[in-house]
Amino acid sequence: MWRTLRDLLRFNRQFAAGIVLLGIVAAFSCLSFFSPYPPNDSFVVPPDVPPSWAYPMGTTSRGQDLFWLLSFAIRNTLLFGMVVAILSRALALVIGLVAGYSGGLVDRALMSINDTFIVIPLFPILVLFYFVMRDHMSWGLLALMMACLGWAYDARLIRSVALSLRTREFTQTGIFSGMSTRQILVEEHLPYVLPILFSTTMNNINWSIGLEVTLSVLGFTDINTPTIGVLIYWANQHTALVAGIWWWLFFPVLLVVMTFIGLFLLAVSMNEHIDPRSRLGRS
Amino acid sequence: MPGYLVYLLTRLGQFALVVFIGINIAFIVTHATPIDPVEQSIAAATQFGSTSPEAIALMRQSLKELYGLEGDLAHQYAAFWSRILVGNFGPSLSAFPTPVSVLIGRALPWTVSLLVVSTVLTWVMGNLLGGLAGYFHRSRALRLAGILAMAFHPIPYYIVAFLLLIVFGHVWPILPISGGSSMNMTQEWSWAFVGSVVSHAILPVASLALVGLGGWFMGMRALVSNVVTEDYVTYAELGGVARRRILAAYVMRNALMPQVTGLAMSLGAIFNGAIITEQVFGYPGIGTLLVSAVHAGDYSLVLGITTVSIVAVSIAVLLIDLLYPLLDPRVRAR
Amino acid sequence: MRVWRDIALLMVLALGATGAQAQGTISDLPRKETLIVENPEGTIKNAGWFNIWAINAGGQSTGLHQLGMDTFWYIDPQRGVDGVWDNSLASEKPIYNADFTEMTVKLRKGIFWSDGVEFSSADVLFTIQTHMKTNGLRWSAPIQVNVADVAAPDDSTIVFKLKKPNSRFHALFTVRWNAMWMMPKHIFEKAGDPLKFAFDPPVTLGAYTLKSYDPNGKWFIWQKREDWKRTTVARFGEPGPKYVAYVDPGPPDKRVIAQLNHDLDIIHDVSPEGMFTLAKQSKSSHGWFAGFPYAHPDPTLPAVVFNTQNEMFKNRDVRWALALLIDIKAVSMASYRGAATISAIGVPPTGSAPEVYHAPLEAWLKDFEIDTGKSKVKPYDPMIGKQIADMLRPSMGEQIPTDANEIAKSFGRGWWKPNPKAAQELLERAGYAKRGDKWYMPDGKPFVIKLMVEGDGRPVMTRAGSMITQQWRQFGIDASTVVAQGSMADRRAAGDFEAMITWSVETWGGHPDLSFFLDSWHSQFVAAAGKPQPPRNWQRWSNAELDKIIEQVRQTGFDDPKGLELGREYVKLVVREMPTIPLMSYNVFTVMDDTYWTGYPNAATAPYTDPVPNWANTKYMMVRIKAKPQ
Repeated sequence: MWRTLRDLLRFNRQFAAGIVLLGIVAAFSCLSFFSPYPPNDSFVVPPDVPPSWAYPMGTTSRGQDLFWLLSFAIRNTLLFGMVVAILSRALALVIGLVAGYSGGLVDRALMSINDTFIVIPLFPILVLFYFVMRDHMSWGLLALMMACLGWAYDARLIRSVALSLRTREFTQTGIFSGMSTRQILVEEHLPYVLPILFSTTMNNINWSIGLEVTLSVLGFTDINTPTIGVLIYWANQHTALVAGIWWWLFFPVLLVVMTFIGLFLLAVSMNEHIDPRSRLGRS
Repeated sequence: MPGYLVYLLTRLGQFALVVFIGINIAFIVTHATPIDPVEQSIAAATQFGSTSPEAIALMRQSLKELYGLEGDLAHQYAAFWSRILVGNFGPSLSAFPTPVSVLIGRALPWTVSLLVVSTVLTWVMGNLLGGLAGYFHRSRALRLAGILAMAFHPIPYYIVAFLLLIVFGHVWPILPISGGSSMNMTQEWSWAFVGSVVSHAILPVASLALVGLGGWFMGMRALVSNVVTEDYVTYAELGGVARRRILAAYVMRNALMPQVTGLAMSLGAIFNGAIITEQVFGYPGIGTLLVSAVHAGDYSLVLGITTVSIVAVSIAVLLIDLLYPLLDPRVRAR
Repeated sequence: MRVWRDIALLMVLALGATGAQAQGTISDLPRKETLIVENPEGTIKNAGWFNIWAINAGGQSTGLHQLGMDTFWYIDPQRGVDGVWDNSLASEKPIYNADFTEMTVKLRKGIFWSDGVEFSSADVLFTIQTHMKTNGLRWSAPIQVNVADVAAPDDSTIVFKLKKPNSRFHALFTVRWNAMWMMPKHIFEKAGDPLKFAFDPPVTLGAYTLKSYDPNGKWFIWQKREDWKRTTVARFGEPGPKYVAYVDPGPPDKRVIAQLNHDLDIIHDVSPEGMFTLAKQSKSSHGWFAGFPYAHPDPTLPAVVFNTQNEMFKNRDVRWALALLIDIKAVSMASYRGAATISAIGVPPTGSAPEVYHAPLEAWLKDFEIDTGKSKVKPYDPMIGKQIADMLRPSMGEQIPTDANEIAKSFGRGWWKPNPKAAQELLERAGYAKRGDKWYMPDGKPFVIKLMVEGDGRPVMTRAGSMITQQWRQFGIDASTVVAQGSMADRRAAGDFEAMITWSVETWGGHPDLSFFLDSWHSQFVAAAGKPQPPRNWQRWSNAELDKIIEQVRQTGFDDPKGLELGREYVKLVVREMPTIPLMSYNVFTVMDDTYWTGYPNAATAPYTDPVPNWANTKYMMVRIKAKPQ
């Protein structure tokens, strides 16, 4: 395990770059533990100061040091994205593979549940959830809710792949050679599904962060917990873009982009590692 | 073909079940809202002007009667189903007595045309680029395209949309930034009106495309780089089949299946509306209607929109399932 | 790659084709004759509905009630074109009998509906009778509660017989933002059920008629009537703009961009930062005040409203302690970036109120004393307005006034000086205790306050709430804000909040009478906990002394100077009791662009009305606005 990691770092530039990008973001989010200011206090520094030595990312119109504030925000956002992704991937993978492989009644039952989740419109549910939860709304709850709503689409994608894998020769070979369902799924089918899984993981993190920002921009959020979305919410409240406080939006967006490109590079290189055939194609 | 017929029937049954469950969940969720349409109306009516407290109780009672909100949930549930089976969603509670279907009908064409155009456009471009990038993975131009698509993808949609707005509405003001067409224009099939609609749609479509491209691009590239290593592709290459033909007939076609699923579902999902797009560009449509309905506690309208959306997505899912066995012969109809 | 070339070519072509169109946002109306105004209602869901008497069915401030409607009287929130009071459809003030059980209205002659039918007492009679016999119209309830009988002895006289004495019955027909509008009898009597009639196109009494509207509710365009001389504003001259467009320009950033492009003549409201951007980047844009603080102080008083039925806030000492923990300078900076007009007392510091209430009570406030049991403090600091001005001067420069009177007008006078020591003593007397660095309630539970704010619908108030909770937190109270969004109205009416930033005080503005809100504060209207509370006593506060004041006001005429004395009694009472903590007036950043039009109202030279364009009172603005010579 450690050796593969070392090899990847040494020989795969994409992997190394991805690790570095994510490392920067993670290190930055860890800085939040050393912040001199509580995240919710405003007017602790002069407002609207552009990036400078004293304030490397400038200060907001609310008199907050963006550097420290952002470290809180990115930490919460990363955690949020990861919680949603991990929970919903687990659901999607299990349901997709089982449904695709088993077929018949199991497939139909699972897909009925799956389809119900697909067809229910997300937005009204999330907003009404916000109103029902009222003062108890927190990002943890929101993450849980979104994980429950965010698996169905990808489960269907995975199922469609599993469905065509089922009719392939090697599956038949596996069955004839006495492999159990679990073995076939994990050993034979999983490698085919993993690239999609990684690509959907990123999509899912992106989706959940995007939705969190959407809900925040529309104000359906707990504004007391700084996340990237809440940061944008406050920037909007102060019309930061037209008022020329560009750094208030630039740095949060920069961090999100870095996170995502890092994740992407990791996924691509891991994909190649897991599926060595595509490594051969690289020459 | 009888095998397919059985499949068709069971699938139709499943469709009906999903729609039924979906609408029921929507009914429960929308009626769980703590926002009372009567209170909203009263607040709106008394917000700035003079009011006498004695009159409010009277007002509350008569509005309840007017909106038909008396009676318990079971009663309302029965009334809801008896109406919906004939396609009637009842009157909107925040624009009483206008029927919900009229409000939806007014907003839907805008949403559908905007989203169909941008979704299809994005899908075609994303898959084309992604497929090419997966196949010719040494091309520098395609790598650059990949990096660009990827860089836009994670930027929160709101920011991309707003940057477009600033650049083309303010810094270099060549495109309209608000509304679906110019003011004082009648909605009719005239060149002037259609031209105005097209010019108003450019920025919203561009913003949706920029952000959506990366997803299709990545998915397609991953799929193609998978297919490329299949034996039949190698054989074809060794056999001297033209690369263009390999790409089109062998690689893309096989990699496209999951993407078609994705497209159908994105198309189904457009009935949710592009809420932020409408918000940023002031574009008319179902998303704005939904947000304002939620704010007003107008559960008739929320339920109307969700029902339309549920039915649309279900149909999309159904179509994929029915077409899948026909498109991919490897999947046998069961 | 031929594909790419084609795509690029197509895009260039598309851009070229639309570029020409993009410039004018109005397709075929001459821009120079059109005034473009923001309608803060946003997109109207049900655009083709103009029956304003049906509650909430369509838009109101789409120009419909500003330009199309009319009623007996208008009270101006500022000075008025010809005095604060204007007899509009009525030819004179309301005539009451001795015990206020009968009100007679004399109507103006020669006023016509836009379809050429003359307005008369028959229309009034029809309007009132329709409301008496139909439930669920906007003014059905107040008419049914008050009116026993109505009669029209002749074409220009209406006599109301009231069910019980009411010296303020005319308020129902006196515009302050809106009032009960008159229906055209000849249209509505043929229309069937008045609740189901869309009234499209609207037949108007105002100087404009509807020209066209967007079925999707983004814009409404009104056109000046040919016969504008036969409407009530004609007394003040011809309305300037030939066309007035009420539009939904989108979120604040876009309003700023639209005005920078000169596509939006009047912005209803933006964020303070948006206002500063406009002031900096556009020479033609200006607010109510020529310089800082720009905004128009509306006769509305945002405050920390306690739910006084909540055990936590039943004790006056607790409410006062929380007030003494607020640093209003920081709140003013956080909310309005200093562009706030503060008020320590329960009357908005705008219109005629500063002369009638704030100035005369200044001496009393300076002497006002609180006894905490351990010490006596005089909490009022008359210099706070000046301190805010001083604080802003280094960054804002010369536009900050130096004259004491100007400062009082723009930034307000004094407020309570933060005094944590006195707050601690008050809290301790109320049985609250501090252990470690946290405060605990008498029952031993932590002192937790959730302060409800509305969210992005009222960004400035949300910011004020965040600042106040921060200050309470720093003192050791576990305070945080809760964003209510759309559920604000429900939760406020249901009493489902601990404390909130909202207002329970609204006044006429120009006229010093306080009954507009005060009457509803009588304890007879306070709902039991858990039951919905009618507006506006959101704090659910009952007080015997206040009831006495209100009952005396009810027996006093509208213009009786005795009413002012009673008003001051009310102010002193709420200072002592602190049922809400008044913060400032609701300052609205209405921004007007001089590129095409001039003559907008302003604080210094033309305070003839409130420029905030969703007020029906802005109909007077149209006769003063003139095209700018190009």
